[in-house]
Amino acid sequence: MLDGYMIEAEPYFRPTGNEVDLFTAAYQARLPVMLKGPTGCGKTRFIEHMAWRLKRPIVTISCHEDMTASDLVGRFLLDPSGTVWADGPLTLAVRHGAICYLDEIVEARQDTTVVIHALTDDRRTLPLEKKGELVQAHPDFQLVISYNPGYQSVLKDLKESTKQRFCALDFGYPDPSVETEIVASEAGIDSATAHTLVEIARRSRNLRGQGLNEGASTRMLISAGLLIKAGVPLGEACTVALIVPITDDPDMRDALGNVVAACG
Amino acid sequence: MPGGAAEAFSGEWMAPWLRARRKLEGAGYGDAVCQSYARTSIVVAFETGPEPAIDMADTLSAITIKSGRKAAAHFCEAAPVAARRLGSAPRFRTWLSLMQRFAALAPESIVPVLSRMRALMEELNVTQLEAWLLAGVRLSGVDVEKRLAFFTFETPEAAGLLDRESKGIGFFEMDRRLRAYLCALFGVHPVIREAPPGRHDGSGRRSSFGEGFIQMPGHYRGVRGPEAEMLFRAALAHIGAHMRFGQGRFVLGQLKPLQVAVVSLIEDARVEHLAMAEMPGLRRLWTAFHVAEASGALTAESRFARLSRALIDPEFEDIDGWVRKGRDLFFAARDQWDDPQISRSIGNLLGNDLGQLRIQFNAKTYAVQPLYRDDNLGLWAFPEDGAPEDRSEILLDAARMTPNDGTNPPDTTRNEPETDQNTERVRPRAPDNPEGGVMVARHVEYDYEARVERPDWVTIQAVPPHAGPSGYVSEVTQRYQPLIARITALVNAARVGRPERIRKQQDGETLDLDACIEAVRDMRSGIMPDLRVYQARRRQHRDLSVSVLLDISASTGDPVGDVGVAIIDVLRDATVVLAHAMAELRDPFSIATFHSNGRDEVRYTQIKQFDEPMGRGVTAALAGVKPGLSTRLGAALRESGARLAQQPTHRRLILLISDGEPSDIDCPDPRYLIEDARRAVQGLASQGINVFCVQVGQRNRETEERVFGRRNIVHIASIAELPEKLSILYLRLTA
Repeated sequence: MLDGYMIEAEPYFRPTGNEVDLFTAAYQARLPVMLKGPTGCGKTRFIEHMAWRLKRPIVTISCHEDMTASDLVGRFLLDPSGTVWADGPLTLAVRHGAICYLDEIVEARQDTTVVIHALTDDRRTLPLEKKGELVQAHPDFQLVISYNPGYQSVLKDLKESTKQRFCALDFGYPDPSVETEIVASEAGIDSATAHTLVEIARRSRNLRGQGLNEGASTRMLISAGLLIKAGVPLGEACTVALIVPITDDPDMRDALGNVVAACG
Repeated sequence: MPGGAAEAFSGEWMAPWLRARRKLEGAGYGDAVCQSYARTSIVVAFETGPEPAIDMADTLSAITIKSGRKAAAHFCEAAPVAARRLGSAPRFRTWLSLMQRFAALAPESIVPVLSRMRALMEELNVTQLEAWLLAGVRLSGVDVEKRLAFFTFETPEAAGLLDRESKGIGFFEMDRRLRAYLCALFGVHPVIREAPPGRHDGSGRRSSFGEGFIQMPGHYRGVRGPEAEMLFRAALAHIGAHMRFGQGRFVLGQLKPLQVAVVSLIEDARVEHLAMAEMPGLRRLWTAFHVAEASGALTAESRFARLSRALIDPEFEDIDGWVRKGRDLFFAARDQWDDPQISRSIGNLLGNDLGQLRIQFNAKTYAVQPLYRDDNLGLWAFPEDGAPEDRSEILLDAARMTPNDGTNPPDTTRNEPETDQNTERVRPRAPDNPEGGVMVARHVEYDYEARVERPDWVTIQAVPPHAGPSGYVSEVTQRYQPLIARITALVNAARVGRPERIRKQQDGETLDLDACIEAVRDMRSGIMPDLRVYQARRRQHRDLSVSVLLDISASTGDPVGDVGVAIIDVLRDATVVLAHAMAELRDPFSIATFHSNGRDEVRYTQIKQFDEPMGRGVTAALAGVKPGLSTRLGAALRESGARLAQQPTHRRLILLISDGEPSDIDCPDPRYLIEDARRAVQGLASQGINVFCVQVGQRNRETEERVFGRRNIVHIASIAELPEKLSILYLRLTA
């Protein structure tokens, strides 16, 4: 049923601590896990890697503002003979024992996210209100959410009652040497260039909350590295992959452009 | 007839020219004026053609009538200069009419302006000249002496504004991006401010820093365009390196000025090298400013510049023994660069060598080279009781800047008057403000006559609120209890976006039964069904933040109506009632008051921040509001808008509670501030910020509508009207 959701090849992941062991332990106890950290620091990559390692299918749902509970649990559809129920991605994972990964959960409205409450305590059930069914979770099912504390505003935060149901792993940008290694390996560039990129990113992260919402992520560095590998000069690669995506503010762009010049 | 006239005014132009001359002779301005005209109009005719040269006679008459014969003579001398510089007839005509207008506006200042025309025209084109002249007129208000002081360059602002008009890139144009640059490179967040103007003596204009703050020159004289940007950037990166890699101040001890200079120089190189190890690109940035050559006279200053270059530029070779020794010592200590004491020991050695060479060194005239380096003031700890002259000897002209703990940036207006013997320029002190405003921002102001927005024209001073009698707010809330109840009910009705069922949707939580039946019917009868069979529930909600801006100018102290209540009381009560209503709404809102005392002092007091609850502090601050001074509305709106723009809501609103029209002591023209306020309102609208005015007291419909637009004003004569008017406002907002 969930064969399409299995991850066949090992996704590259460079652990920075004992997160692999911690997650394995949490999975053994089927504890819900929350991955915290800024965007592009490797949360999604980590969970894919863990799904591969634990040999479980993974159902990923990217949450958005407009998402309703029906988008998670399922809805009635109309077909020529009448109405039929179609499971949503969450119900699918619950029934068949996958890891369900709700990416950027705070993006979803708070009233949407309460449907997971019964899944995350010892009941491990998912009520399908509209269909009148109570789905008992498959023994292999686990719920994982990701959460970017950078968005913190009153409007976008998890309910206290939601938060307290999870174990949390904190992800940050890796140490410069580890990050250099990651960028070099993922983009296939030499480590001196990767080091320069990492130095640029570290400086952009100084601007967090000082004009930028978030500094350049590891993901962006890898994109820049891939451009460099394709023959684009460092300065242009950084403009295209780091500076222009990250901000529209001309002053910030100017400052970042000069940071690239200073580091390169 | 003067030579060249026949060629200049050939054919048909000769007769009008002679007529113009006769007219001048007949007007009795004196022979000198007439002869001057005869001579200079020929030059003008060669530059721009005969017609403007003949028109020049009319301008000459007008100026002579306004300002006298001396001005006329200066005008005749200035005209060929302008004609040569401008080169075309239309531009020269613009110049003529500008001079005529200026003579009418400031008759006493036309002579100093005309006599400086060559220098002015070298820096400015005719539009910039107009902007600069009008700026001077605006700046001085009605004070003739102040105006004359401006146009004779006795006021330091004159040169500062000239720099600005001539498009020299100033620190303030780049302020924000430079801050971001510094913060990104070194992760430091010092207070950065522009040095006070008035030090246009050409030397010693260097950046400076202390714990937690940096002072930048507003301009580097003579550095323009992209180079100025680079220079600011280099200067900040250099100071950033000091802040990051320096480890506290050096103790002055018994060091001589010469040694202090050398130790500072080595320390500069040390921190730069540490920074370059992390960010190799900085070498390019800094090296570009090292232009010392390994030749020429061997003074202390030139040796310093050469050593500085030798320490950063690997390509640079110097034959001087002292410079080579400095370089060798410095690079031999490469492994200890992270220890500032090596700067001290190497600097001492080199300083002693120079001392033995009996090299003359004048600390008073010494300016650190190259231009981007700071004045070294931040590197040294000075004994608290040290005699001031010791300091000034070492600190060049920077002695007036005392080290500061950074929490309380020194006020630009508090500098002691200068006692520089070269320039007797004394900055006119702004009127003391006893409650100690801190300069927080500068805003543009729009001049409708010149049709320009003057950058950084108005200074906003943040003034802390002071607490008034406790119990005021509870008294008001008690007094207006029924009113508050009504407003609360009203507001509650406005707040709750009831959930709404939306039918026939492409997606939705549940099926829309009616649509389903239709779709199935269609399907069975073989018609293409409408597949929008879902229904959704949506809550309508307002996403709004409000900034309440309260005008507390002196006029609000006037009584309103016939019951002897002051306008300020009504304003304040209205604010309290409104604040209660808005706290109920749970929309984020802030409260601020403003009044002004000329363009240098627009006093802005934040009474409540957006995320602050309506607590005791807020109510006490509201109670402590006292009326006084004037209403520089545009500046206050811009400041409020800048703060409101940070709010992450969909709609933003400034709710101005005011008693009337803008005015200020330095603006004799009533239309000026009205037009500026109108411009500010329009500017805010383009940023998605609406301005709404609750007007109390006497109405002046025309002015208000010009500034805010007809739909954006409500007028209340007494506070009892507030609920109705407020409902109008909220209806408008939710519409």
